[in-house]
Parts: sequence; C-alpha cells; structure tokens
Amino acid sequence: MEKVSVIIDGRTFEAVKDQCVLEVAHASGIYIPSLCYNSEVTSSGGSCRVCLVEAHQRGRMRLVTSCNYPVREGLEVKTDTPLVHGIRRGVLELLMARVPDSEVIREMAAAEGLNDVRFRRDEGENDRYKCIACAMCTNVCAEVVGVYAIAMTGRGADKKPATPYYKPSDVCIGCGACAYACPTGAITITEEDGMRRIWGRDFNMVTCSVCGTPYIPEAQVDWIVRTTGKDRSFFDKCPDHR
Amino acid sequence: MTDVTQFDRIIDRYEKTEESLLAILQDFQREFHYVPEEGIRRLSEVMEVPESKIYAMGTFYKAISLTPRGRHTIKVCTGTACHLKGAPQILETLERELKVKRNGTTTDGEFTLECVNCVGACAMAPLTLIDEEYHGQTRSSKIMDMVKKQVGS
Repeated sequence: MEKVSVIIDGRTFEAVKDQCVLEVAHASGIYIPSLCYNSEVTSSGGSCRVCLVEAHQRGRMRLVTSCNYPVREGLEVKTDTPLVHGIRRGVLELLMARVPDSEVIREMAAAEGLNDVRFRRDEGENDRYKCIACAMCTNVCAEVVGVYAIAMTGRGADKKPATPYYKPSDVCIGCGACAYACPTGAITITEEDGMRRIWGRDFNMVTCSVCGTPYIPEAQVDWIVRTTGKDRSFFDKCPDHR
Repeated sequence: MTDVTQFDRIIDRYEKTEESLLAILQDFQREFHYVPEEGIRRLSEVMEVPESKIYAMGTFYKAISLTPRGRHTIKVCTGTACHLKGAPQILETLERELKVKRNGTTTDGEFTLECVNCVGACAMAPLTLIDEEYHGQTRSSKIMDMVKKQVGS
C-alpha cells in the first residue's frame, strides 16, 4: 500500500493512497459531518453533499465531497473555512426543508448555527418525511446483504427507495439492515408479538430457546442457511446465550 | 396476462446479459403498450437479475410505462412556442372530445393523451403527435378530424 502525506487543516497526516479524505480526517480526530457515507458500504457516499470540503491541489481549489475524494500526495484539505461552512449551511438548509422531521439533520444544522429554514418546507407523503434519497438502504440491501429487495425508484424529486410495485417483497428477508444503515431513520421497522414489520411485510421471528426473546426473522435464518450452509440449530439461541 | 410465453418470445431474441434489459423493456412497451408486472417478474427470472433492479429501471425511463396505456398515444406539445400558438386550446379540445384528462388513458383503452415540453420543431407550432406522426400548425377545430383520419375510426 502506497503511503502519501496529506495536509488537513494545516496538519500533516500520513494516509494510504486513494483512501477517502473523510476517513483520513476522522481517523485524525478532525470532524467532518456526513450523512450518506458508510465505510463498510463501498457504493455509499457522494449524494448528501454535507461533507463538502476545500481540496487544494496543484494550485487550484475545488469543493469536493470528502467521503469519496481520494487522497494523493500533495493534497491539502481545508474543512473549516468560511466558504465550507457557508456551503454546508446551504446544503443543510435545503435538507431541512426537504425532510423537516429529521432530528439528525436538525441537530447537524444547529451545530452550524442554523435553526430555521428560509425555504418552504416540503409537505410530501408521509413515508419520505425523513428520506433524503441517498440510496444507503438500497446499497446495503444489494451490496452487504445481497438480496436486492429494494431499489431507488422514480427520478428527480420523486426518487425514493421502494420494493417492486410498493408491494411486500417476497425476496426481502426482514433483516432490517436498511433501517439500521439509514442515516436519518426514515425506514419504519416495528416489532410486536414475535412479528417484525418492514417494507409492508410481516416476518415471523425466531425465539431464543433460553431467554425467549424473538431475535431474528425466520426468513433471514432461511437465507443464511441457504447461502452459507450454516446449521439451522445455531439459531435456536440468541447471540447472548450461544 | 399470466402466459409467460409471450414474454419469453421477446426475451429469447436477446443475449442473456444485463445490457439487454432496457431493449427488452422497450419491446414489451411496444408490444403491450406498457410493461406488465408479470413481464418484469418473468424477465427477472430468466435473466437472473433482481426484480427490484428492473422495476427501478422501469420507473426511471419516461419511455416506459408501468400502467396500461391506450393503443394510440396523442402528444400535445406545450412548449413555449406551441403554448403561444394555441396548444392549450388543442389540449382542452382533446380532453373534452376524448373524455380523458391529460396524462390519462380513455376508458376504452384507445387513446392516451400526453403533454410534452417541446419536441424541437417550434417552426411548426403548435405541434401534435399522433402515435409517431408529427402534425404541424394544428388547430383545435381540426384536431379531432385529424385524429379520426389517422386512427381510421
């Protein structure tokens, strides 16, 4: 792995070539806010625009999304300039107008000294009140889980994640990874009486034989057994009692 | 619509790669005037591509409709030039005569009425497309005759 040195906010750091700026910064204790990036999901990032920073290279400056900008030798990054804060405030203001219900975005905006929005708040359908259409959920479902139960449908302002035809998906395994990865908590997942409900489908839960807690959907056990060949009896007990 | 052979007939014409998907969807659109749900499901089975991926493609492209459309499509250009030259009146006439709202399909499944924003022939404004045929300098008083003449009813 080729090492490069990169300057972030005046301090020099050593990093692996092509690692993203955001990860180098976070590893060095420099905070850059971001929503749509997760280092475990290769296809994530680049859509929420919250992590914009100044990238100075070869005498030129560009505003780039730090979550997918590769570090190279001689790169200088500035995360704390009036320009960066101004742009970030603008992005957060638009996000707040789009998803007024999102606490995460409201907190992030408050940290930038932004408490109100000049734009008309979006009063769209309920199910996308917190969704910023970053595609984290669909990327996780496809790349990490591998079941492709949901995809980004539509285009432009109507773009949102959905199962085909908005019907309960028969390939979904109810694992809830999409809801877990969603940066704004826009995906509803409920659990009641040993049933989990997500994307409009009900899943029977497997109950731990020791503590009696329903902890994993049957469909997810089926999927793991089918894809990894793991013994089904492994799932009799929850992780706490294995 | 549950007979899969009609879908397979189209799917079989193409290579079994992800690149063929859009072309197949277009062929479905041409054949059935929309892309049926069963068609997407069958395509997903045969091509071994997740249904969600194909469904997402169908929602992305404007040329692909996931709801049934009429046998004939009438597109009224409502771009700037056509608008000034009287596109709104043409649209209103069609809505009244065909008893259909814009972007809707008549109950007998004969016509789908659409608005489009500029088809790039502003010199011919106002413009109406009946199926694939361009009609320039359309007038609301003549539009129904034109439709009848071309569709032959």
